[in-house]
Amino acid sequence: MKHNWLNITRLALALFVFAVITWAFVDFANKAPHWVQKFPHAQIVPAILAGTIGLIVIFAVLTIAFGRIYCSILCPLGILQDILGRFLPKKRRKHHYSKPYNWLRYTLLAICAIFLIFGIATPLLALDPYSNFGRIAVNMFRPLVMEGNNGLNWLALQFNNYNFYHVTIYTVTTLSFLSALIALLIVGIMALLRGRLFCNTICPVGSLLGLLSKFSLCRVVIDTDKCTKCGLCEKACKAECIDSKAQTVDYSRCVDCFDCLDKCKKVHAINYVIAKRRSHAMTTGETDKSKRSFLLTSAAMATTLPFIQGCVKAVSKDVDPTKLTPITPPGSKSLAHFNANCTACHLCVTHCPQQILKPAGFEFGIEYAFKPHLTFYEMAFCNYNCTVCSDVCPNHAIEPFKGGLKEKQTTQIGIAQFNKNNCIVFSENTSCGACSEHCPVQAVRMEPYGDSGLTLPHVYNDLCIGCGGCESICPVRPVKAINILANAVHQTAHAPKEEEVKDVDAESLDFGF
Amino acid sequence: MERREFLKTTAVLGAAMLTFDKLTAASQAGKLAVESTPDMVAVMGGEPVALLQRALKEMGGINKYVKKGQSVVIKPNIGWDKTPNFAANTNPELVAELVKQCFNAGAKKVTVFDHTCDNWQKCYEHSGIEKAAKAVNATVVPGNDESYYKTTSLPKGVKLKSAKIHQALLDADVWFNVPVLKNHGGAKMSIAMKNYMGIVWDRGQFHSNDLQQCIADICTYSKKPALNIVDAYRCMRKNGPQGKSPNDTSVLKTIIVSPNIVAADTAAIALFNQVEKMDINEVGHIANGEKLKLGTQKIDTLKVKRIKL
Repeated sequence: MKHNWLNITRLALALFVFAVITWAFVDFANKAPHWVQKFPHAQIVPAILAGTIGLIVIFAVLTIAFGRIYCSILCPLGILQDILGRFLPKKRRKHHYSKPYNWLRYTLLAICAIFLIFGIATPLLALDPYSNFGRIAVNMFRPLVMEGNNGLNWLALQFNNYNFYHVTIYTVTTLSFLSALIALLIVGIMALLRGRLFCNTICPVGSLLGLLSKFSLCRVVIDTDKCTKCGLCEKACKAECIDSKAQTVDYSRCVDCFDCLDKCKKVHAINYVIAKRRSHAMTTGETDKSKRSFLLTSAAMATTLPFIQGCVKAVSKDVDPTKLTPITPPGSKSLAHFNANCTACHLCVTHCPQQILKPAGFEFGIEYAFKPHLTFYEMAFCNYNCTVCSDVCPNHAIEPFKGGLKEKQTTQIGIAQFNKNNCIVFSENTSCGACSEHCPVQAVRMEPYGDSGLTLPHVYNDLCIGCGGCESICPVRPVKAINILANAVHQTAHAPKEEEVKDVDAESLDFGF
Repeated sequence: MERREFLKTTAVLGAAMLTFDKLTAASQAGKLAVESTPDMVAVMGGEPVALLQRALKEMGGINKYVKKGQSVVIKPNIGWDKTPNFAANTNPELVAELVKQCFNAGAKKVTVFDHTCDNWQKCYEHSGIEKAAKAVNATVVPGNDESYYKTTSLPKGVKLKSAKIHQALLDADVWFNVPVLKNHGGAKMSIAMKNYMGIVWDRGQFHSNDLQQCIADICTYSKKPALNIVDAYRCMRKNGPQGKSPNDTSVLKTIIVSPNIVAADTAAIALFNQVEKMDINEVGHIANGEKLKLGTQKIDTLKVKRIKL
């Protein structure tokens, strides 16, 4: 089958975007170029959450000008569905026009929007195509890449080549994997059975763009004079939005894949053109209906949400707050800010060089489910000289540091809590001080205790930044003697005071032995 | 063929044992094993490369330690994500010069690694060691993953009976221990003996199991470094092992080289005491090392060459 140039362009762009975004998500070694790592910023949900108005305007203008091309060439989950659809034998790739589930799609959109306004990103986290793709890529594709790397490393080592290095996967949890697998199954099965049904029913981004694409300037138009109502275009339409009998196209659902144009080779009755005027009563009728349902749901949600929010908070309050406040990444400002902006795309999970950003389960409540939190284990803590997570976060859930690295180095995400009774210096009368060694800001200092010449750690709260260096190295098991207690609202620590310069007089210096 | 191999191995082993015996005897009785070579060389007053060149020359030249076709490991301290002016890591120029000399002596391969405390890639990069060593064709290998380490028994260890040691070192024919001189919160001082902690994966047990004893125990690993080369070009006076700022350091422009690890650490502390007080008795692993016959604190019983450039 020969493709028209529109379709070829669409395919080429889509594959390019898909490859780049997937690269960004599996780039465990931080080797991808800067622009690749930044590519996920050009997604609608991240742009909205980060408040990148310029991007939002661009997406709106693009959609009004060309229709929902975003869904075909920029959305990684959309492209993934198209790729999966190719696995169906050609004979079985038959679609039929179906009526839109407008009530459902706009209700879901409204739920996402209203919850977001009240600072809860959970519904969006569950439905956002970008974040779902992120979770699939990070929890399913990335382990494959990492194990592939380990295989290559093994092979290279046989030839004394050290260009690769072995990596252990710490940050794929059972739950994060399941969340990815379930998303992939749902999206995949829907794609195989009903094309872009997910995009046109469940996806809030698809619904949002659908509201705009109805008024798009360029669109797929059926020339009723030429059309023979053969139905080939309808069969090819994975969005199931072409009604060949009525000779109409539902522009709120058309994703501009141009597959229909390929099918109508003989008469060229269906074309992507600049629309002359508002067409078809049917689509405008749909608009009114959908608008109405969107507004209705929004209003209903807005009135009930404070109640729901209260319930969510109540559920999360059932547990001891000192143990169950997650440590949010430096740059995330506060638990509230992080909760409101993070949609758990797991891009930071991939890029954290220490693998200490781990997707949470339900231990911090439903609101925090699947979002990354800091975990410290043997030899892994937050690097003093690293801002990778805040650099890559497209949602600004982890905001970039305006003051650069210096600001990160005084951002207090938590405070070390020392428990003397667990410390081996106290319990076993042996010297240690590992915690103090690993403190990059000298907030944990060894101070004399007893007459045995031993020293015990003392934490200077105003200096501690909560990086977890001390906790990670503390040798006591199973409960460590020093642990980071999260700051629900991040604070600013004092910068460590520098020593006075002490110059050595080279003349007077001797060997001393 | 097999018999020849066997004889060869026996001869080499015998020779090695002889030398070792002599060295031990020398360190204990204060006699000289080999007349032409001092037990320790200290050089002061030059740049890192010049210091090392002179010290190695006085120690009998690199050819005395590295033979043609051998595979060499250089173990600097690359523990922290700090630039050279913090003196938290070994001087990169010094490492590079040692790599060069090893290749000049005919080394087949020179490998550099450390099990870092901070993220290994950042440490390797910001210490300047990766770049400097690679520029002179050293193989810089990671030490970040457990899979690189193999359990090795330490029969002479008091508390530490075994440890997972990096494969590169296990495979090496000869190795150099190249620490930087610095203050250390836990171990009090980090010099040559403490630098051994970077050859080990599972060092959590060190802390929970009497750190000062475990440091001495790991130094009983049967493959001893050909030389301990203490980089005291710039030392960290305070706030070790990481340091808060370059103000924590002092430039001493000195290098101390010796196969006797206890003596090297003792001498380095004596040097250190001129800029910052440190009681050697607090640095417990040194006395523990002496008890394990790893060397002597009595420097005056050794033949020491002190040179000012």
